[in-house]
Amino acid sequence: MHEIIRLQSLSKVFPGPVVALDRVSLAIPQGEWMAVMGASGSGKSTLLNLLGCLDRPTEGQILMGGTSIGELTEAQLTGFRRETVGLIFQQFHLVPYLSAVENVMLAQYFHSLADEAEASEALARVGLADRLRHRPAQLSGGEQQRVCIARALVNQPKILLADEPTGNLDEANERVVMDIFQQLHDDGHTIVMVTHDPHVGMLADRRIELEHGRLVTIHTHDLVAAAPRTADQS
Amino acid sequence: MLPRLLWKSLRGRRSRVALAGGALAVAAALAAALLSVALDISEKVARELRAFGANITVVPRQESLEVEIGGLRYAAAAQAAYLAEVDLPKLKTIFWGHNIQGFAPFLSAPVEAGGRQVLLVGTWFDREVVLPQGPRKFSFSSGNVREPESEGSRFRTGLRAIAPWWRVRGRWVEDLPGDAMVGKAVAARLGVAPGDRVPVRASGTERTFRVTGLIETGGPEEDQLFVDLAAAQALLGLPGKVDRVQVSALVKPDDVLAMRGRRNPQGLPPEEYERWYCSPYIDAITYQIEEAIPRARAKAVRQVAEAEGAFLGRLTLTLVLVSAIAIATAGLGVMATMTTTVMERRREIGLMKAIGAEPRQIARQFLLEAALCGVAGGGLGTVIGLLLAKFIGRQVFQVPIAPSPIVVPFVLALAVLVALLGAALPTWRAARLEPATTLKGD
Ligand SMILES: Nc1ncnc2c1ncn2[C@@H]1O[C@H](COP(=O)(O)OP(=O)(O)OP(=O)(O)O)[C@@H](O)[C@H]1O
Ligand SMILES: [Mg+2]
Repeated sequence: MHEIIRLQSLSKVFPGPVVALDRVSLAIPQGEWMAVMGASGSGKSTLLNLLGCLDRPTEGQILMGGTSIGELTEAQLTGFRRETVGLIFQQFHLVPYLSAVENVMLAQYFHSLADEAEASEALARVGLADRLRHRPAQLSGGEQQRVCIARALVNQPKILLADEPTGNLDEANERVVMDIFQQLHDDGHTIVMVTHDPHVGMLADRRIELEHGRLVTIHTHDLVAAAPRTADQS
Repeated sequence: MLPRLLWKSLRGRRSRVALAGGALAVAAALAAALLSVALDISEKVARELRAFGANITVVPRQESLEVEIGGLRYAAAAQAAYLAEVDLPKLKTIFWGHNIQGFAPFLSAPVEAGGRQVLLVGTWFDREVVLPQGPRKFSFSSGNVREPESEGSRFRTGLRAIAPWWRVRGRWVEDLPGDAMVGKAVAARLGVAPGDRVPVRASGTERTFRVTGLIETGGPEEDQLFVDLAAAQALLGLPGKVDRVQVSALVKPDDVLAMRGRRNPQGLPPEEYERWYCSPYIDAITYQIEEAIPRARAKAVRQVAEAEGAFLGRLTLTLVLVSAIAIATAGLGVMATMTTTVMERRREIGLMKAIGAEPRQIARQFLLEAALCGVAGGGLGTVIGLLLAKFIGRQVFQVPIAPSPIVVPFVLALAVLVALLGAALPTWRAARLEPATTLKGD
């Protein structure tokens, strides 16, 4: 399959120094759903931020669709991020004074042109057709996260990056959100998702695990599925 | 989207916006009020200042020698030249007659009172004058004909009008021929008090005056004996004569044109002459007095005019400085509010950058929000300020203040500028926030 992301010996060192990522090499084919797992502080968010062009690596290379991220200027990086990735966060990060549809339109506005009809459609796809005018404070956590997904999708990004998208949700809402991801995956989206939750991880095609910034294991979905479900019982 | 974003952002953060807008409104109100007052009050304060003494002395032309400021002339009556009392109302018919706030004639000579030598001064205390004719028209070589403002045909004036600040123990004379006011020093020498009678003898005639009040001025008036002009003329045998007139005129501080006109007004080019003539410079007024009254020499008491000009300048400067401080304070208020806002909106800014906003888009939003605060706060403040100016005018200066049309755009522009300056630094910081770090954690 066509490879969309390639990481080459990627390292990120924060002042301290804290080695958050230590020479991680990885290739992600187009259309793959990859789960990033690992203990707290193992560097999952750091990795996702690098993929999301929110941060720059200390060393190593990120190639996304043939573009080497490290060589882009700040402005080019912003433009690249706008075109290429859709971001979904654990804490939702919606603009509190804007309604659901306006939050989605904001992403369109920074990308190109706000289009209310298109934004409403994006919300309809995540089941929020009747909540367009509500502000984040008037929505449940699950609904807020669906607004975030709609926002991440509205500009048709090549890659969806989600940092613990269900971390703040109860089981029922988790199921709704994961169904949406499943649907997106079936539609052919490339998804990189950080998660603690083995259930969630199991939905992915592949799981990678970080430990102290190092890539320690790569499981394919089949391998995990075949293995005894120890994680489930814990 | 941008208008919608701004509108929602301002509406969604009402209390913050109200705080910034309020600071701007207060500053704009102060600036608008003080500037209105400063622009309009000069003339009004000048009018009040005119109460503190005459600024023009008119004497007969033949002896235009030493004239003491505020003092009186010690010349033998027989040798002196005189002005005619009947000519005095003409003072109000000059081009700037409207600016003649008051005048008082004097006729003075040493006499014997209560057995001692004192200086007798005849004057008008409080007199209603009938003006000779309606407002005259003034034609200039340019072909312009100008008509001065008219203010009726009657005018009240006299010593009381030009020296209302004199402290009088007892009461003022009300132009009764038999009444007198004595200077404090004279009263002490003669041993008289209000209610007493003083016999006065001059060139063989004698007349007794009733003292109505004692004058305390700290000046030469304390050595003089003031009586009605007609009574003095009769005593001195000089009917209808006046040896000096003091005039209180509202004048415009000297500027370049005034300087150019001072030496030789007729030497100015006709157009400038007309402009000079039609400006209430003290020299233009003395020039016009000399035109109106035969054989008169009008002298500007320049110290008074200059002191007033300097005072008005300082008053204006004070008002402008206070406005500036108010505006600077508002600027700091806006900066504080904006800084807090940026802190509070870190996540929002980080998010916007994460979903693709460029720094200048963030900056544009913040600066536009500040500018809108400036327009709203400035507009509200201007309205309040103009009302405040009206109030100050009525309560403090007892005159209506006309809002000057330049105040509104000036104060609005200033409010917006201050809002933008106050927002500049926080905005710069907001635009530079790193999305990765701001989005982390709760
Ligand atoms: N800006 C930073 N400055 C310094 N150290 C940082 C910074 N960001 C992250 N780190 C450190 O880098 C390491 C990896 O952090 P990261 O956020 O990637 O962990 P994580 O795997 O996402 O953990 P969690 O599951 O708790 O979210 C941690 O030790 C963290 O303290
Ligand atoms: Mg994390």
